[in-house]
Amino acid sequence: MTAPQDATATNGGQTREGTVFDIGYQHYDGPREGRNRSRYAVYKDGLKISLGIGRGAKAKVLPWMFIGVLMLIGAGMAMAAITIDRLAGDGTAESVGLPTHSDFYGIASIIMFIFAAISAPELLCPDRRDGVINLYLVRPLTGTDYIAARWAAFMTIMLMVAWLPQVILMAGLTLGASEPAEYLKDNWQDIPKFLGAGAALATYSGTIAMLVAGFTTRRAYASVFMVGLFTVSTPFTFGLAQELGGTAGQWLSMFNLSNIPMHVNDAIFNATSGVTMDAPAAEFDTWVLVSWFFLWTLLPATILWVRYRRLAP
Amino acid sequence: MTNASDAPTNGALGSQDAVIKVENVSRWFGNVVSVSDVSFEIKPGITGLLGPNGAGKTTLLRMITGLADVSDGKVTVFGESVRNNPALYARIGVMSEHETVYQFMKGRDFVKMMGQLRGVKDIDNAVDKAINLVDLSDAAYRPMGTYSRGMRQRMRLAATLVHEPEILLLDEPLNGADPRQRVHFQNLLLSYASLGKTVVLSSHILEEVEQLADTVLLIVNGKLAASGDFHAIRAALDDRPYHVRVISDAPRDLASALVKLESVDAVNVDPEGAIVVLSRNVRDLQIELPRLAKASGVRVRRVEPLDDSLESVFGYLVDR
Amino acid sequence: MWFIYRLTLRQLSGRWRLLITVLLTALPVIMGVVHTLVEDAPPDHDFQTGVVGMLAGVILPLVVLAIASAAFTNEIEDRTLANLTLTPIPRWKIILPKLLGAISVAAPMIAISGILTGYFIYEGDVQAIASLAVGAVVAVVLYSVVFTWAGIMTTKAIGFGLLYVFLWEVTLSQIVPGVRFLSFNHYSMSIMQAIDERRFADEDMLSTGVAIGASVGVFVIFLLLSVRRLRRMDVP
Repeated sequence: MTAPQDATATNGGQTREGTVFDIGYQHYDGPREGRNRSRYAVYKDGLKISLGIGRGAKAKVLPWMFIGVLMLIGAGMAMAAITIDRLAGDGTAESVGLPTHSDFYGIASIIMFIFAAISAPELLCPDRRDGVINLYLVRPLTGTDYIAARWAAFMTIMLMVAWLPQVILMAGLTLGASEPAEYLKDNWQDIPKFLGAGAALATYSGTIAMLVAGFTTRRAYASVFMVGLFTVSTPFTFGLAQELGGTAGQWLSMFNLSNIPMHVNDAIFNATSGVTMDAPAAEFDTWVLVSWFFLWTLLPATILWVRYRRLAP
Repeated sequence: MTNASDAPTNGALGSQDAVIKVENVSRWFGNVVSVSDVSFEIKPGITGLLGPNGAGKTTLLRMITGLADVSDGKVTVFGESVRNNPALYARIGVMSEHETVYQFMKGRDFVKMMGQLRGVKDIDNAVDKAINLVDLSDAAYRPMGTYSRGMRQRMRLAATLVHEPEILLLDEPLNGADPRQRVHFQNLLLSYASLGKTVVLSSHILEEVEQLADTVLLIVNGKLAASGDFHAIRAALDDRPYHVRVISDAPRDLASALVKLESVDAVNVDPEGAIVVLSRNVRDLQIELPRLAKASGVRVRRVEPLDDSLESVFGYLVDR
Repeated sequence: MWFIYRLTLRQLSGRWRLLITVLLTALPVIMGVVHTLVEDAPPDHDFQTGVVGMLAGVILPLVVLAIASAAFTNEIEDRTLANLTLTPIPRWKIILPKLLGAISVAAPMIAISGILTGYFIYEGDVQAIASLAVGAVVAVVLYSVVFTWAGIMTTKAIGFGLLYVFLWEVTLSQIVPGVRFLSFNHYSMSIMQAIDERRFADEDMLSTGVAIGASVGVFVIFLLLSVRRLRRMDVP
């Protein structure tokens, strides 16, 4: 490809010639991979951003601090149970009602909400603020592909963050028991339960955080708005529900955003966790609470999808 | 290894009246060395900081302005350390390469605020004068978010000039300027320098610097590759032998043909079959080598300079 | 100083920021209004503690975080900070007006929210309302100085700020008794108690002297830390 490209132009009967020389740009001759490769690239990039991989040490501090705190809670719960059992005999921890798998998300959900509120904007806001999204969209990649890949990446992280401490707790309790095999045989049902409850919490909080991030380009707004929404919603709805009482109070209590996935957690474990104990909404039938959860997860997901589907380069 | 810094400078850099002194300055970020052991002095007049993108020009300028700290070495302006010495900024004007404006602010308000922050007396006159200087009086009362890139750049220059600094430090000031603005801008700088002030501007475009600067500082890979008068540097380079490595499918045939060239001093064929040509006139060699190869039917696969920093100097001074 | 103060006011009163903060500060007021409207409301005391806790413990730090951390983070992200540092102004004269600007935007919103909330939940008791408002403003000043400092240290101040508020102020200060010596929430509660002993005396409080001394100490220390940081940082 060293031949100059000649061009001829006619201008008022006068012929002018122009030549463009190929001065040796490297042309790409390798295989061209399709849309799936692009989707995967956006997905992988999303994972890296969320965990600060491939960036400076500063970018890693925050996500790993959150993951660390959550794992500490899991490990701490296991340690407490083991210690009590050691001191007062097997089964004491259970009989005195020490927090376990069913209570973990009640304790840790606020940290997960904050983690989601901080991480989701990192995935979406800078791309729009700096105009990088246009570079993505001139590739064989649609807005839907982009947002789906980002969402999937964020879900991967959220699931990891939700499950890891529970796995640690499980491992701790199993290894700390005097008969590990016995313990596992008796309690293996906890595993699918916490996987399910964790998935509910992760998809719910992750999707809402993505939705909030999808509407602003300043990360700070998105984070503060989401955290404000979630943390204030408990005292706000709780206080008002008490004031109003009755069915009105029950329905108001349904708008406690932090409790929506916790009701699902309660349904899965067939228990009441600390955060939902006094919520009037807990008196609703399980199917109402579970449908409510799906509504609050699918609706934000749809709005997010519609918003990004329309984005064109 | 050849080093361009021992090229003869034309003596323009006397130490008596140097206003900026950079002594053995280095700056590294983690493992990356951005500026490496650079020393020079700048005196009144226009000095051009020239070099390819990523050479370390901006980092160097940021250290001269005191915005960034040095990892090693010393920068003094008017004999004082520039870092943590805010008082000095009353005498310095800095324009960075980025668009550092407040979008919501009106052009005139921006210039006025910058003047007030630097303690300018008779502020309204100073502001009008600066805005007239950059020819933007018409747009002075519009928010800067509505400006074109070139207009924002000029308004920033007005804000930089409003306190009539003795030293003007400009990082890539001509980016985004159209040819007419470019001329206007160059005249402005020339007249500013003629008042005995010091102007330092960085650029990766040779012509910009060539037309303006009395003195050139050439930065390549974070090192000072050449300094002094532009033409003197160029002449000095021509006198140096220069190593070029040529890879071809018939090295011995090509080597014997190359020896006959006027521009070639010596030819070696290394054990791997590559030709290393020693030349004092690479400009001619560049033209003659492909012709020769074509004439003798040899296929040349690759031509690469071996003196890396020198090559870049050459690329800048000669190629364009 | 005046110019930087005015600039900061303009920067921190963006539409979105105000909308979010006004929304948040309106919530306790709404609760207060509903409380006065509903006939057979539950006992006052729990409700009052709940609402004040929500305002002082959650909404106030969040609002201040959104405002104060932006005082420098926005300038750093937009690379406009050099406009201020390349001036012959002592560095503390850059920090102070920035901080005062953040306080001037946040304090009125919080104070108004506190006064209105207090008016409804304490049924117009002036002493209680004044105590709530003063305590809230003290907390605004303390959080402002810390979050302004955080904003100049890192562009991820929001993340660290949230972690600090919810782990330290909300969670640890309830569990670990010693933390209250280092908790802004407790400082402001003690000051509220000093003004109105009848209503805010039911917790294990710091003495007023300690609270005031610690508040002044925190303010000075973080102001100095900010000045030091501005001197040493590489300004983008």
